[in-house]
Amino acid sequence: MTIEDVLSIKNLADEEIKKTGDLKSVQALRIKYLGKKGVLTAKINSLGAIPKEDRPEYGRVINETKDYVESLIKQQEEFFKASELENLLKANRIDVTVPGFFIPHGYQHPTSRVLDEIVDVFLSLGFRIEEGPEVESDYYNFEALNFPKDHPARDMQDTFYVTDDVVLRTHTSPVQVRVMEKNKPPLRVIAPGKVYRCDADVSHTPMFQQIEGFMVDEHISMSDLKGVLEIFAHAVFGASTPVRFRPSFFPFTEPSAEVDIGCVICGGTGCRVCKNSGWVEILGAGMINPRVFEMVGYDPELYTGFAFGMGVES
Amino acid sequence: MKASIKWLKEFVDFPLSPKEIAIALTMSGLEVEALEERDDDAILEVSIPPNRPDCLSIMGIAREISAILRLPFKNISVSVPKEEGEPPSVEIKDSALCRRYASRIIRGVKVAPSPQRISHRLELHGFRPANNVVDITNYVLLEMGHPLHAFDLGRLAGNRIIVKTAGPVNKILTLDNAHKNLAGDMLLIWDADKPVAIAGIMGGLDTEVSSSTVNILLESAYFNPVSVRRTSKAINLSTESSYRFERGADIEGLGSALNRAAQLIAETAGGKLTAMTDNYPAALKPVHIPVSLSKINKILGVDIDFSVVRDLLIRLGFEIKRAGEGITVIPPSFRQDIQRDIDVIEEIARLYGYDKFPATLPAVRMQTMPQGSGLFPATYRVIKTIENSMRSSGFSEVINYSFLNPLVFDTLRFPVNDKRREVIKIRNPLRKEEEALRTTLIPALLDNVILNISRGEKSLRFFELTRVFLPAGQKLPHESLRLAAVYLKSPHAPSLWQGKHEGFYEMKGAMENLFIKLRIKNYSFTDSDLCEPYLYPGKSCAVSVNGRNIGSLGTLHPALSESLDI
Ligand SMILES: [Zn+2]
Repeated sequence: MTIEDVLSIKNLADEEIKKTGDLKSVQALRIKYLGKKGVLTAKINSLGAIPKEDRPEYGRVINETKDYVESLIKQQEEFFKASELENLLKANRIDVTVPGFFIPHGYQHPTSRVLDEIVDVFLSLGFRIEEGPEVESDYYNFEALNFPKDHPARDMQDTFYVTDDVVLRTHTSPVQVRVMEKNKPPLRVIAPGKVYRCDADVSHTPMFQQIEGFMVDEHISMSDLKGVLEIFAHAVFGASTPVRFRPSFFPFTEPSAEVDIGCVICGGTGCRVCKNSGWVEILGAGMINPRVFEMVGYDPELYTGFAFGMGVES
Repeated sequence: MKASIKWLKEFVDFPLSPKEIAIALTMSGLEVEALEERDDDAILEVSIPPNRPDCLSIMGIAREISAILRLPFKNISVSVPKEEGEPPSVEIKDSALCRRYASRIIRGVKVAPSPQRISHRLELHGFRPANNVVDITNYVLLEMGHPLHAFDLGRLAGNRIIVKTAGPVNKILTLDNAHKNLAGDMLLIWDADKPVAIAGIMGGLDTEVSSSTVNILLESAYFNPVSVRRTSKAINLSTESSYRFERGADIEGLGSALNRAAQLIAETAGGKLTAMTDNYPAALKPVHIPVSLSKINKILGVDIDFSVVRDLLIRLGFEIKRAGEGITVIPPSFRQDIQRDIDVIEEIARLYGYDKFPATLPAVRMQTMPQGSGLFPATYRVIKTIENSMRSSGFSEVINYSFLNPLVFDTLRFPVNDKRREVIKIRNPLRKEEEALRTTLIPALLDNVILNISRGEKSLRFFELTRVFLPAGQKLPHESLRLAAVYLKSPHAPSLWQGKHEGFYEMKGAMENLFIKLRIKNYSFTDSDLCEPYLYPGKSCAVSVNGRNIGSLGTLHPALSESLDI
């Protein structure tokens, strides 16, 4: 072995390493030169056969060569690793504009949504929620609400009968009577629920949702009814919606009122929805009839109150 | 009630357009539902509330217009021609059911078609003209609101009228050529031998005025509203006449209606009329209603003084007297709906105008909630939590009718002794399939699935949270809150799990999610082949909370999904 041999290995390695095209061939050269059975390793292992005085010189040249090859290979490896990573990132691009995946969320029924919205308005005014049965006695559905038997006012509501004395409630108003029987004023109550009418007319459904509300205390007036229902109408239909009150008839309120809002479809100029009147009826209301107070044992000279009821459609 | 503007103007000369008068009436309590403009007239369709029978006539509506617009009301001037001959012989046997019966006989009429001005008006108001005698009874009914009836006197046995109940008589043939079954307590009009009319509802065919009629007996009576209504309901016959009697006719005004009709018949059909036989055993005593001014203002939340109140009530034809701090009000006889001070206050409010009331907010007294109740019943909060949980699991809310077709129990393979077969039935359902109240929510949800499949849906999740109605051995059923959910899974839907399982685990996950939201910890799903007859044995389970069975969960039974084509 001569110094020249080692230098020619260095030149060959230099040439071969620089010619490599990928990481794999660089790694093959690492084995070829620096592996356990590599060319340079073999030279190091054969140092023992070199005459003692020449060993330091040989050792220095071989080590220099080894370090040189080592760093060259490392440099080349890093180059290929970096470019491989770059290729990997390039290859793995995703389309971020594709729609996301999610567990589909269920929908609330439109009627429930409207119902909740209305209930929220009254809860914020300090009303509390009460419920009553949907299958109701004639007494609560009619009699106690001043619909005497054999009175034409009963024709106002087509009734499903279970027996002579039991009906599917035609309105949520029986809740008024049930609550007043059990509680003393002051009362502010709202009662949402299902009601039933056996209207054979195709434009009516036999079941729909209604919300009843009432307030009883010592000094509740018709003007208060107007004030509270205006707050409600403006909260639900918009602050600039016109609201009007006009006289009507319900056996359980007196005076009674029908509440209309300006038609949102035509803006009040008249269209098919509002039957050309510019107004759409949203609810019935009135001052609770003293007869109802008498039925529940309230003193009608002491207490006054208002009640309202509205059908809720989506 | 239809009302011609032209006819109304005969009683009150108002300068408003048809549209303006429609708004004025609507804003004071008589809602005009439709307005039909014609060449030289306009017809209002006015909705008359049940407490205002006095407005079921042209004059009644005209009176309202006169009150609303402060215009003079031009009353009809009735002048009866010379009276001659024997007046009718009338006997009231049941004065509780007939408080007044007035009548005249007109002899020698020529029954013929009515003059055009009469028949035209009848047609405009929805009446079919018959002959001059019958038409005039209808004309006066429209004009003055009081129902009248004309009998062929020649066919009245004994030439007399007896007002009494049916007793043992159980049938009568009425003008509509149909036999009506009678009950003993129904009030009838009789001649000497037989019943000739169902009082206040319809005349008998036998004594009908026809082209051969020469002498007539004209009836103007007051029949008990409850009695007329009961009979009308029982024989399932409502007429223009019964509609008015059951709401309350004007007992004081029936004499002028009789005279008006007698005069018009004499003018158009000729004949001589007799004096009036007026059986009126106990005259109506007008009510005197004390009303305090402070109560008016307290209830309405306004501040109006006596002069305003007086003006409003006088316009309505009420008589008023100052009585100390308050007033005493005497309503006219046609306003039988005015009995208490609140009725008077309503009239004041109505005519004063609701739009003139301020909109105020009530002063509120706070109070403790009733024992055991918060702002709302505990169930309300639970309902909202369940709804939110089901929606977050992907289930949409449905609201189905509370009705059920009992045939569905066989489809669902319910055993004969299944408790849910005991349903509450509706006596008058709109459809046979809706004759029972639901004891289970499942059938309607399956119907929802079938409907949506037919619309091309492949995958859906629905839930319904509402009451079922269970017989409870007392007057009212037990109304019990139930949750039901259905999941239709498309075979192609992506899934986190391998293998076929028809969405069982998604459904179970939704249940578990619900328990977490309701803070229920001690729940379990127990393998059971028998939990529900409509579920797939081996792919269904019972659900328990604290060891108590609360429901079931599973895949639809294959036989059921095949028969329903799901
Ligand atoms: Zn409109």
